[in-house]
Amino acid sequence: MTAPAVHVQAERSQQDIRRMRKRMLLWLQYLVLVVLALLFLFPIAWSFINSIKLPSEAMAVPPTYLPEEISLRNYEELTTYGKIGIAQHVYNSTVVALITVAGSIILSTLGGYGFARFDFPGKNVLFIMVLSTLMIPFQSILIPLFVMIVQVDLHDTLFGLALVYITFQLPFGIFLMRNSFLAVPHEIEESALLDGCSSLSILYRLMLRLVLPGIVTVAIYAFINSWNEFLAALIFMSDQDKFTLPVFLTTIRYGIWGDVNWGALQAGVIVSIIPSLGIFLALQRYYMDGLMGGAVKN
Amino acid sequence: MSIRKSFLLVLTIVICLGALSAAAQDDEVNMTMWVRSIPFQTQALVDQWNANNDSQIELTVIPSGEFVTKMGAAIAAGEPPDIASIDLIYTPAFAAAGQLVDITEWVRQLPYVDDLTPAHMELGMYEGRNYAVPTGVDGSFIVYNIDLFEQAGLDPENPPSTWDEMLEAMRAIDALGDDIYGYWFSMACAGCNAFTFLPFIWASGGDVLSDDYSEATITTDPTVGEALAFYNTIWEEGLVPEGASIDNGSNFVSAFTGGNIGMAGMGNFAIPLFTNDHPDLNFGVFHIPGKEGGAASFGGGDVIAIASGSAHVEEAWRFIEWTMSDEAQIEIYAANGQIPVRLALEDNKYFEGDERQRTAASALRVGHTPYTTVYNDLFNDPNGPWLEMLQVAILDGDIEGALDLGQERFTQIMEG
Amino acid sequence: MLTKQPAGFNLSWTQRRKLTGLLFVMPTVAFVTVFFIIPLIMTVYMSLHDWPLFGERAYIGWENYQELSNDRQYLKSLDFTFRYTVLVTPPIFILGFILASLVRHNIRYIGIFRTIFFLPVVIGLGVSSLLWVWMLDDRIGVFNKILLDLNLVPKAQLFLGRPNTTMNVIILSVVWKTVGFTMILLLAGLQSIPDELYESAEVDGAGYFRKLFYITLPLMRRFIALALILSVIGSVLSFDQFYIMTRGGPRNSTISIVFWIFNNSFTYFKMGYGAAMSIVLLGILVALTGLQLYVLREKE
Repeated sequence: MTAPAVHVQAERSQQDIRRMRKRMLLWLQYLVLVVLALLFLFPIAWSFINSIKLPSEAMAVPPTYLPEEISLRNYEELTTYGKIGIAQHVYNSTVVALITVAGSIILSTLGGYGFARFDFPGKNVLFIMVLSTLMIPFQSILIPLFVMIVQVDLHDTLFGLALVYITFQLPFGIFLMRNSFLAVPHEIEESALLDGCSSLSILYRLMLRLVLPGIVTVAIYAFINSWNEFLAALIFMSDQDKFTLPVFLTTIRYGIWGDVNWGALQAGVIVSIIPSLGIFLALQRYYMDGLMGGAVKN
Repeated sequence: MSIRKSFLLVLTIVICLGALSAAAQDDEVNMTMWVRSIPFQTQALVDQWNANNDSQIELTVIPSGEFVTKMGAAIAAGEPPDIASIDLIYTPAFAAAGQLVDITEWVRQLPYVDDLTPAHMELGMYEGRNYAVPTGVDGSFIVYNIDLFEQAGLDPENPPSTWDEMLEAMRAIDALGDDIYGYWFSMACAGCNAFTFLPFIWASGGDVLSDDYSEATITTDPTVGEALAFYNTIWEEGLVPEGASIDNGSNFVSAFTGGNIGMAGMGNFAIPLFTNDHPDLNFGVFHIPGKEGGAASFGGGDVIAIASGSAHVEEAWRFIEWTMSDEAQIEIYAANGQIPVRLALEDNKYFEGDERQRTAASALRVGHTPYTTVYNDLFNDPNGPWLEMLQVAILDGDIEGALDLGQERFTQIMEG
Repeated sequence: MLTKQPAGFNLSWTQRRKLTGLLFVMPTVAFVTVFFIIPLIMTVYMSLHDWPLFGERAYIGWENYQELSNDRQYLKSLDFTFRYTVLVTPPIFILGFILASLVRHNIRYIGIFRTIFFLPVVIGLGVSSLLWVWMLDDRIGVFNKILLDLNLVPKAQLFLGRPNTTMNVIILSVVWKTVGFTMILLLAGLQSIPDELYESAEVDGAGYFRKLFYITLPLMRRFIALALILSVIGSVLSFDQFYIMTRGGPRNSTISIVFWIFNNSFTYFKMGYGAAMSIVLLGILVALTGLQLYVLREKE
């Protein structure tokens, strides 16, 4: 009676130790995670804290840790910054992003459908041609793009910039949409085809709903990439009225003959982070799907 | 023959002008003008002109950093402005590319042609012809803090006139306290140092470019290395704040307004700022000296030109000529603290009694500006050879290496 | 009669399908041709010319390419970009792997941590560079404030004032900005490995490192390769962080290849020369992508 009981007890205490160890490890894991998370959040939080300081405090040397007074003055200053004000640049970035999103969705959906469901001569060649854009980064063809855009008088226009952005969203969009369409069972379409629907109306009435997740993913990427892009915007826009947000913010950084307005700069950083952050947080699942689908191509 | 020829030319021009001004009164002339965003009195000039003339000018202010690109794009697109106020260093490049109207005959008729600031006139010429005249002129000099000079036992009435005297003054001021420094330079700002450091070389009789501007003389002219060694001493001895080494120009002006800097290279554009925004700042001005004396200044600012393709060349010239008149130069320029483009006008009722303003204006008598179509690539580019040479020599102390590097990259750009 | 079509349009069903398919992909093909294929060909064409922004263009053959070997700054930029890539890749990869291991299992709240680590990825590199250059400032920056308050440094540090410290702090900022991306790729790799493999290894008494080197790393080879190559390509193409944080300084020590192409093309207006450099860059990248395809090829 006693011996097995002792044995059970010993086993249980050993199990307890193992469980305790596992728990300790879990706590340790959380501790590390929390510390790392704080470090990762710090730059954004610090920028936000400084953006709501009074402008004079945001410029203080040395800086203060926490605001003595909370104020939106930095944001107000941004609305008149550089005579144009940030509203114009938010507008510019938004217009470019929306055109890019609309263009990418339309072209990728049509193209993806075409490549997924139709057979036509030269299909493979064309598909490879489109995808090869992925291999060659746009940085290496910016010079002729600039020359061409100037030639057709599209430099300094938001539309011209959006056209370039659409092109560089295309391979990813086509690839993703083609896979989305391929995942839709043939039977669904076939019945509609037999009913005599045109291809376009099948796409519009039937398929769109089924590939909506793909479309959302394409839209998110188009938005975030065009919203954040810096180099092409820097080159194609020489008119200050047309600067997108990231380019505008660098002009604050390089104030001529004067101190940099750090408070306003941080307010600008926050303004420019919010849209892409918001969209990412709201539609995270689609974003990650795109990352997996686009990056881990099989 | 040439007399008769020029007489005929003048006659033709006068007739043309008469005909055109008559035509101008018939139908309204609208001209466009571009200026970069610098604090010259261009807007006041244009307003005054528009109020008193039938022809109207529409002024567009282009951010300084984008001026050349925008101008190039506008020319390429066939839509340049009629009148352009151009940073003088770019004039040779624009004239060489055939983008500016030859105004030689008109310029030679000006009664005060020899009195116009020489550096700007030289830069406005290309192959012996005039393409631009000065409009917004500025020269570099040294500002010094009179209070700090007095505290350090220096005589503010007799500011330094050689490099050694400058160094001594800096050391004396630097010794006043931990937060007080003898000098300021913005060593991550290429243009700032072209403006304020090149004159040290010129005032000593040297140059980084040969007299005909055809080649670099960085390794062949010993004064270049000596001037670099002078600045290197300032850095090594800690006579400038450490932050000066990475200042990209954002503190070029404001550093001196803190009141803890003994001396700094500066331009006239900063004087109204100092006197208006910092009334407590007790400062004086002296010319940039050479090693053993002498003086030099960098002639900076803008020249004004007519772009090729303008449909209103004569009327544009009428405006340009008016900007150099006594009326414009004294009542608009001098009244607002801007240096007149005619040297003789440095004695005027507005500058009277302010020795600083007069010294600043007279700096342009010793004003000089490098004449090269690749000025930007050589001197102004933050990644150009000029700044890299200065940083390697002054901050790293490798003067020999810096000279070799400068000579090689200057030559490459000038030949390229 | 009304429905009768002209004979030429009387296509069979398959023919119509073919035509429709072609029409669907046409807009995309047109875009790619105009904005990609033509510029690509033009890059080659321009690289053989002296091509200023305005003024005369002239055919000069291989001169631009010959000039490359004499361009001290170009060689310096190649060297810098190479060094930067070599230095920035390991920290991104190692930290990415650690993060992926930490967030691998679906324990409570883990989604929040994954999101937090990934957040910087959706911020633009330009904006993040502005954020960092401000935090690194010698007077107003928070890093100096903290270091001074903790008495870790005697006086404010000019992080962006010396080539080596500049490299380190830029790497720090880029790791923050991009490590979340690597983490997600490696996380996918980790999760593709069945738990049973670890369990049976544990029964055999394998320790952490044995499992790491004999199970984890080999099985996620393709994910590792992908993460590394994407990270390397991103580093070779880097521009924003140097343009914004250092403007290429100090002593022109942080001018990347793309930066130097940008300078030559859009500051010095030597577009032909810039195009020649682009072609070289293109060569490097095609080689890297080729490597990518080789490593990721299906083993069948």
